[in-house]
Amino acid sequence: MNGWTGNILRVNLSTKTHKKETFTEEFAHKWVGGRGFAVKTLYDELKPGIDPLGPENKFIVALGPISGIPAPNTGKAVVAAKSPLTGFYGDGNLGTRAAEHLRKAGYDMLIVEGKADRPTMLYIEDDKVEFLPADEVWGKGTYACNDWIYSKYGKGIGVLNIGQGGENLNRFAVVRSLEGRAGGRPGIGAVMGSKLLKAIVVKGTRPIPQADPAAMKALGSGDLKKVGQIDKQTGWSIQSTTGVLPFCNEVAGLPVRNFRKTHHPLAWQVDGERCNNARVATYGCPTCTMRCGITVHDKEGHESELDYENVALLGPNLEIFELAQMASLNYLCDEYGLDTMSAGCTLSFYADAIDHGAVDGDFKFGDAERAKELLRLAALREGKVGNLLAEGSRRMARTFGHNSEAYAMQVKGLEVAAYNCKFIPGQALSFGVAPIGAHHREAWIITFEIRHTTRESYGPEKAAKVIELQRIRGGLFEFIVSCRFPWIENGWPLENYPKYFNVVTGLNWNLDDMWRVGDRIYSMIKLHFLREFPQADREDDYPPRIWFDPSNADTEGPIAGKYLDLEKYDGMLQHYYDQRGYDRRGIPTKATLHALGLDDEAAAVRPYADLTD
Amino acid sequence: MKVQVKVIGPLIYKAGFSEKDFDLDPSTTVNDLVEMIGIPAERPRIVTRNGKAVLPEDRIEDGDKIAVSPIYSGG
Repeated sequence: MNGWTGNILRVNLSTKTHKKETFTEEFAHKWVGGRGFAVKTLYDELKPGIDPLGPENKFIVALGPISGIPAPNTGKAVVAAKSPLTGFYGDGNLGTRAAEHLRKAGYDMLIVEGKADRPTMLYIEDDKVEFLPADEVWGKGTYACNDWIYSKYGKGIGVLNIGQGGENLNRFAVVRSLEGRAGGRPGIGAVMGSKLLKAIVVKGTRPIPQADPAAMKALGSGDLKKVGQIDKQTGWSIQSTTGVLPFCNEVAGLPVRNFRKTHHPLAWQVDGERCNNARVATYGCPTCTMRCGITVHDKEGHESELDYENVALLGPNLEIFELAQMASLNYLCDEYGLDTMSAGCTLSFYADAIDHGAVDGDFKFGDAERAKELLRLAALREGKVGNLLAEGSRRMARTFGHNSEAYAMQVKGLEVAAYNCKFIPGQALSFGVAPIGAHHREAWIITFEIRHTTRESYGPEKAAKVIELQRIRGGLFEFIVSCRFPWIENGWPLENYPKYFNVVTGLNWNLDDMWRVGDRIYSMIKLHFLREFPQADREDDYPPRIWFDPSNADTEGPIAGKYLDLEKYDGMLQHYYDQRGYDRRGIPTKATLHALGLDDEAAAVRPYADLTD
Repeated sequence: MKVQVKVIGPLIYKAGFSEKDFDLDPSTTVNDLVEMIGIPAERPRIVTRNGKAVLPEDRIEDGDKIAVSPIYSGG
């Protein structure tokens, strides 16, 4: 079976045992890797209703057929588990040397079960697996933990770790790697923490099985150079993702003051030009020739690696416009191992709730010093406020009451990424139907909406665009496991990815074959959701209710007086369901599941909920 | 006529500025302006007027706030 190692490493922290398992060619072809492997494995192996922070949950690291192969930009891994933030399947990807090392150690997936009896570092070197004490770094941040690991094994090793956020079961704790890489927004770091698993260190020394290694080497390394050359021509990585901030500000799509405002005259102070001007270093993932990690000094002098999402949500969204202060909040999130997006939305919700009298407190928009302290409290779950913030915005809103859930900026419990859809209907749909919650990774259609349609439209063309992009972004790139940036930001042709896949596997797939795998994965995430929440309904696919509120409309600027129309949104949602083959609840029908080869998975839902014919 | 022009992202390194006021001839189109500030014709971009997308052949009007941005795709 070329292209896959064919092996899974299953580790049990409770019994300190491990075994190497094999998977079939049918499994490989049906799920391919990464998100596909994770979603299927967790569906089969987790009983609905288990505590995501209990030993029954499983933590997965999954790779794809091109992971670790020199080609654009393959140094990524998918991390997944039942999410403590959303209560169903959750995942994320991050750049890490662990991707290449796990594959070279002979595995396409790592499954971690049980719970250790003390803080543990899992050390994997080919067939060797060791359960090493990590007491020395328990309680320390991700940077100190990384340094400790590097001092033992050198920098060339693959590392995944957590900070104090994950240790203390903060529900939006992430998994971290390298200088500023993070993944697993829906609290996957807390799942590691719940298992007392501080870090995973991997060293692989064997070749990755490929159908034609020489052809892949020539193709992949040539293409890596080409992507680098294209990036030099476009100049994309000069500002990287931070370049989009002034565009969002210009078209009234920037989150400001917990998304209450869509633009701000001071936003330029943290825009891509200013970020680039403040740059002191650049970091990136392995096998990348368009490195996006603009690194600046924060207020305290730490190196802080920025991207647009954290700049917008920890800056303007909190009405903090001093670049160094925003960078401090970003550094603290990385150090504590917290998701910058959920952290930004949770803090902004807290300030907004205080503003609106839903809760008493001393945090105000613009107060960077207090925001730093609150991040510390949230990471350590210190005191009443720390414990409250560590729960994320939806649980906080349900504690506060006073209709505050309307302005908790989340969908299905996952906080909204940094695009303010107060009047961007198609992108609001994209957040609404993003299968794991409001992640921008799945589909982003703002330029399409503004350039090729009327912004006011709630038509089927927007639902179709969301699906087209979900198949690529949330499908293809998440199951072959590769960074989407060469394609999405620099126009590297999509057809190259089936080409890489075919050269390593010896198969002959085209993009349509890829879309089918992506559709299968999306349906499976929906089945996860339904099994955990049998009362699931279309309202679960609505964006934050404040976007439908006429009193929240801008009073000036490009979208003055505009807001999302609930009835029209619901109609657009139905277009999405119709095109996807989902029922009126947003759940795939039996016919859709059958067409995707998911009859067995459909049968596994029956004890919990009904499916529509 | 007076027009405010904002250039976004890496295009500022082509134009040589990020914000500038221009005094333009009344017949100037969006395309004329983009060419005038040195953005190569083959470079994909989106141009907005007061936050709304405009077409290359659209006429610029007095007091417009024009933004010229690369085609962003949401990271």
